[in-house]
Amino acid sequence: MSSEYVQAGGSVTAPPPSIDLTRRVRHASEHLAQPLLWACAVFSGAVVGVVIAYVFWYALPIFSRQALPFIATGDWDTAIDMAWTEPDVIFGALPLIAGTTLTTLGALLVSVVLGLGCAIFLAELAPDGLRRPLEAVIQLLAGIPSVVFGLVGLSVVVPLLSGLVPKDAYDVVTDIPLEGDSLLAGIIVLSFMILPFFVTVAVDSLRAVPRSYVDGGLALGIDRWRTITRIQLPAAAPGLLAGAVLAIARAIGEAIALSMVAGSIAFVPSAKWGLQYFPFMPVRTMASAIVETGGEGMSIPLIHDALFGLAAMLLLASLVLSLAARMIVSWWGRRLALDTGRSL
Amino acid sequence: MRVSPIKGHARLSRWIGPASAWIAAAVVAAVCFFIVGHIVREGYAHVDWKFLTTDPDPSPAESTGGGVRIPIVGTTFLVLLSTLLTFPIALGAAVYLAEYMDERWAVTKAIRLGLEVLAGVPSVVFGMFGVAMFSHGVFTFMSSSGAEGSDVAFGRSFLVAATVMAIHVLPFVIKVMEEAIRSVPLSYRQGAAALGVTKWRAIRRIVLPAAAPGIATGVILGMGLAAGDTAIVWLTLGGTMNMAVDNWWALDQIVNVLRGTGSTLTTFIYFSSPAGEGNAPELAYGGAMVLILLVITLNAAATLIGRARRQTR
Amino acid sequence: MNESLRTPAPEADEAAMLLAELDRQMIRAERALERNTLIDVDNLEVRYGSNVVLRDVTFDVPANQITAFIGPSGCGKSTALRCFNRMNDEIRGFSMNGRIQLGGQDIYDPRVDVTELRRQVGMVFQHPNPFPMSIHENIALAVREHNPRISRDELDGVVEQALVHANLWDEVKDDLKRSALALSGGQQQRLCIARALAVRPTVIMLDEPCASLDPISTARIEELLLELVADYTIIIVTHNLAQARRISDDVAFFLMGRLLEFGDARRVFEDPLRRETADYVRGAYG
Repeated sequence: MSSEYVQAGGSVTAPPPSIDLTRRVRHASEHLAQPLLWACAVFSGAVVGVVIAYVFWYALPIFSRQALPFIATGDWDTAIDMAWTEPDVIFGALPLIAGTTLTTLGALLVSVVLGLGCAIFLAELAPDGLRRPLEAVIQLLAGIPSVVFGLVGLSVVVPLLSGLVPKDAYDVVTDIPLEGDSLLAGIIVLSFMILPFFVTVAVDSLRAVPRSYVDGGLALGIDRWRTITRIQLPAAAPGLLAGAVLAIARAIGEAIALSMVAGSIAFVPSAKWGLQYFPFMPVRTMASAIVETGGEGMSIPLIHDALFGLAAMLLLASLVLSLAARMIVSWWGRRLALDTGRSL
Repeated sequence: MRVSPIKGHARLSRWIGPASAWIAAAVVAAVCFFIVGHIVREGYAHVDWKFLTTDPDPSPAESTGGGVRIPIVGTTFLVLLSTLLTFPIALGAAVYLAEYMDERWAVTKAIRLGLEVLAGVPSVVFGMFGVAMFSHGVFTFMSSSGAEGSDVAFGRSFLVAATVMAIHVLPFVIKVMEEAIRSVPLSYRQGAAALGVTKWRAIRRIVLPAAAPGIATGVILGMGLAAGDTAIVWLTLGGTMNMAVDNWWALDQIVNVLRGTGSTLTTFIYFSSPAGEGNAPELAYGGAMVLILLVITLNAAATLIGRARRQTR
Repeated sequence: MNESLRTPAPEADEAAMLLAELDRQMIRAERALERNTLIDVDNLEVRYGSNVVLRDVTFDVPANQITAFIGPSGCGKSTALRCFNRMNDEIRGFSMNGRIQLGGQDIYDPRVDVTELRRQVGMVFQHPNPFPMSIHENIALAVREHNPRISRDELDGVVEQALVHANLWDEVKDDLKRSALALSGGQQQRLCIARALAVRPTVIMLDEPCASLDPISTARIEELLLELVADYTIIIVTHNLAQARRISDDVAFFLMGRLLEFGDARRVFEDPLRRETADYVRGAYG
């Protein structure tokens, strides 16, 4: 301290502080950081917009040319073959839509039934020694690339199923040859592709149910299993439903594995010959049609347009499903959790 | 005081539910073990030094020959390139969303919603988008020129595939990174603010280092997604088995490699499987085993980093 | 007993020991009759893992009385409570020694149906925990579990009766379909009591039921307990000494895993036998 503040008698007072609260730090980085980060975020958002807009824009021609018949009629494979040489071809995506719908719903059924049991086991019943290894293998399953699922399906599931095709199929079902690579093979393979995904979401939402609900059930003399099914599952329902919806979104977009195992013929499966033939009918999904034809066909304007029609439907479906999952969680979840902030 | 009896007979119905859950878990576990075991059993015999160091030989006559050198290089190349493109933008966007975003602002709301929605879009749609978008003449610099005399680009190259892959994994990576940044305790930021540290310096010096493991996890998980995808690669990398440039390792060829076509492990498996033109399942299983080892390593790394992070908290 | 068999001691010793044990049991039985004992706790010891949280706990809970468990946090009073309906079974690492009898039946006998035990020994938790369902369903759920064939009208009757007993009926009778989570904290807690009453228990245990309630809601619950004690045996764990003084007949004072004092509430509060009890009742710690 400088000496002018030493007053008579030797006592020292502090210098009057000079504080300027308006002083600003003037590092260049301070001014650059925020706009730069903002630019990153906006760029990411813009990319989203470009992808969505591009796909919908280029899908317009096929819908304006064909309108409803594009999704309501049933000729795809021959149309694609003709499109290489003919100038004017009418495409019908109905078999592809049927293929996507059937494989998705079938796989959803299997993976929800199996996955729910598995999730209950993991979240509530499993002893630690079994839970950890099972969680690890399910994570492993989630990491296996779809093409590998296709490969295993093709060399294990398909031969197995081809032995199960009814012997008289060749005589009875005259429209189409029935083989092991079929709707059923597609469903089996797809089930195990979306299963780890559903199980993870389901386990999370079961664990998120407040412990006090479970304790309350047990203390009333409701047994363990009934407490799970009557109290815990309903409380976890929004999360479970959202998980199922997101699993559907995954399933409809699966291309490679299904093109390998599901028969790859655009055909609307029919039960008119008898239900026992139905699972062995071949299908082709929208996503596999894109990946199978898109490699080379994109240079043909007609095929280009038709494939964009498919891509737009897939995109629309996945957008709707994502938004649906979001709404389920926020609306239903909020209704269930009403006032829990205070009481739990 | 008399009390009605509490001893009871175990009712069978009480065991049906739990038993079915155990069975479901057992089925899932059995299938998991079967798939992994099957790949290892089928692939093990074919993975040797020669398999790893020779290039694919797609001629039908020699379908049993050839290895995965080019696909391994292709996968590595594609993964690194797309990570390079994703990382800076994802990190910037994640920091913005976690630290600066005003939730009330419509633009930022739209960005968040868009990213969330895009994370669920199938990769085959991105593949379609990529090959169509980058076939426009203006993007010739990213691949090569297409048909003679037309203003169309070929639209398939490492650069195109990596860009499309980057767009595909971007929403996912941003989400993981944002969560990592948000999970840094508020007290760190308050401590810095109380010391008069400006917001950006606090983020750079305190928040980001604390979130580093989570950010790394995001990058690694994004790599795993990119390595495992087939549809985008099949559509935008050319659908061939080898690279367009023979001496791809030469430094002066880098631009040609980037603009040229190639293959990855996933397209190699697809091509070699009975469903593809190669029809050599044993090669496909060899490739599958290499790919799965790669993916498992990446996932394990992400898990280890995550665990280390939890321990330091 | 086995020890004495192995040692070359004379038979007289053995007989003497047997007699002594018999004597002890007789005395307990007599006392139980006198006091109309409902729950008889004999030499209870509880461990979580290798941690001993309760030891040497012996006492008896008389029927149709309010017994209060008091003591500072972590003294083991909630653990003791949770032994009576075997909710501790859900906790990993739990193990116990000793014997707990409900109306003369050993509740840890392997043949015991735990769900039936828990139906008879109802429990209300510290924080109100109604299920995320309607008020009606909160009560009906457990009733249906124990009586699957109950008719709709009967069920409605049981629900109404339970709500009346819990002094909640007048407040909620017009919107039984409303979510239980929309009720106030005090109403939620009374709903939880109604839920426990609806399955017709013998005992109602409450684990600090007023800990998260305001004074008015607390008073209503205390009033309710004093009405219910005519038909039920009530055990209440409480931190609130004034509350224990107001409503309890017997008091058990726990400290560091031991039952230090047990007896008539007035006697324990006004003339404690032990210094620790006196200190605690005076407010020296806890």
